[in-house]
Amino acid sequence: MKKIMIIPAYNEEDSILKTYNQIVNYNKKHKTNYDVIVINDGSTDKTEKILIENEINHIKLINNLGIGGAVQTGYKYAYDNNYDIAVQFDGDGQHNIKYVANIIKPIEEGQVNMVIGSRFIENIETFRSSTARRAGIKLISFFIKLVTGKKIYDTTSGMRAVDKKLISEFANSYPVEYPEPVSTTLMLKKGYIISEVSVEMNERECGVSSIRTWKNIYYMINVILSILVVGVGRKK
Amino acid sequence: MNYELLLSSIVFLLCLTIFILHLVKKRRISVKYSLVWLFPCFILIIFTLVPGLMNMISNFLGFQTASNMILTALIGFLMIITIALTVIVSNQKDKIRLLIQEVSILKSEKK
Repeated sequence: MKKIMIIPAYNEEDSILKTYNQIVNYNKKHKTNYDVIVINDGSTDKTEKILIENEINHIKLINNLGIGGAVQTGYKYAYDNNYDIAVQFDGDGQHNIKYVANIIKPIEEGQVNMVIGSRFIENIETFRSSTARRAGIKLISFFIKLVTGKKIYDTTSGMRAVDKKLISEFANSYPVEYPEPVSTTLMLKKGYIISEVSVEMNERECGVSSIRTWKNIYYMINVILSILVVGVGRKK
Repeated sequence: MNYELLLSSIVFLLCLTIFILHLVKKRRISVKYSLVWLFPCFILIIFTLVPGLMNMISNFLGFQTASNMILTALIGFLMIITIALTVIVSNQKDKIRLLIQEVSILKSEKK
């Protein structure tokens, strides 16, 4: 099975090489075959230079698209190159390569279409973000349950693996605004099977999260509205 | 309505119409979208030239004064245009995203 890791990178000059080397070392050590595609989302720092110098397989977006548009470019690449499994993985050091095997296992076994790397299903001592953030994630979780009937615990996790069918769905159309919770809702609505596997995440080493405090309420309203729009619509 | 007002109103509407036609000619707006502006100009010119018409309609619709009707109609009209523009912008945003993605993929394959 061909597997690819999609790594969106926007101004990640401090961490992108480290992330890439981790994957390469992991491949050597465990005899795995994870390919890498970095999507440079119009970075203004040295990210592109680092990618070229180290001959990392990447696509440079000619303009900044935001996380959703960047990730979708990765899915298009995966679709064009006939990959069986695609893993979304952050370039900022939040995600840990050792959990990738766990999240793709259910897909390899053909049980599910998408696996979300979740921070909240088991009680492990790890970075689980602030109380306010967790409350927000719970609220989103509630609305997803409301419209789809399925409980998803870590609704904003950016660490996910999808099978071939979903690669083609996402290559074709991907919610560019608030991509994680909205795409999860969409795929549940379409009748795909989604499960969660417990992972640990690190506190981000550098850069700032795309979700800022004072914008949180606005973010929540938007996400919930998007979920409701998706949920109230068609049922396939 | 006094004649000064009538005259200035007609001059203003004619200027507006000519300005829009000028934009169309210079291809700054497409014919399709210019109609949205030309049509109301045309209606307002008719209202100005036929003095009794406006009062008749506003009485019929139950407005206290004709000017209230004009203001209400204009606000409604502007709202519709703004909504239409929002639709167009959202649509274009999607298309631009697609273009950026495809061009970037092609460029990276060429290397």
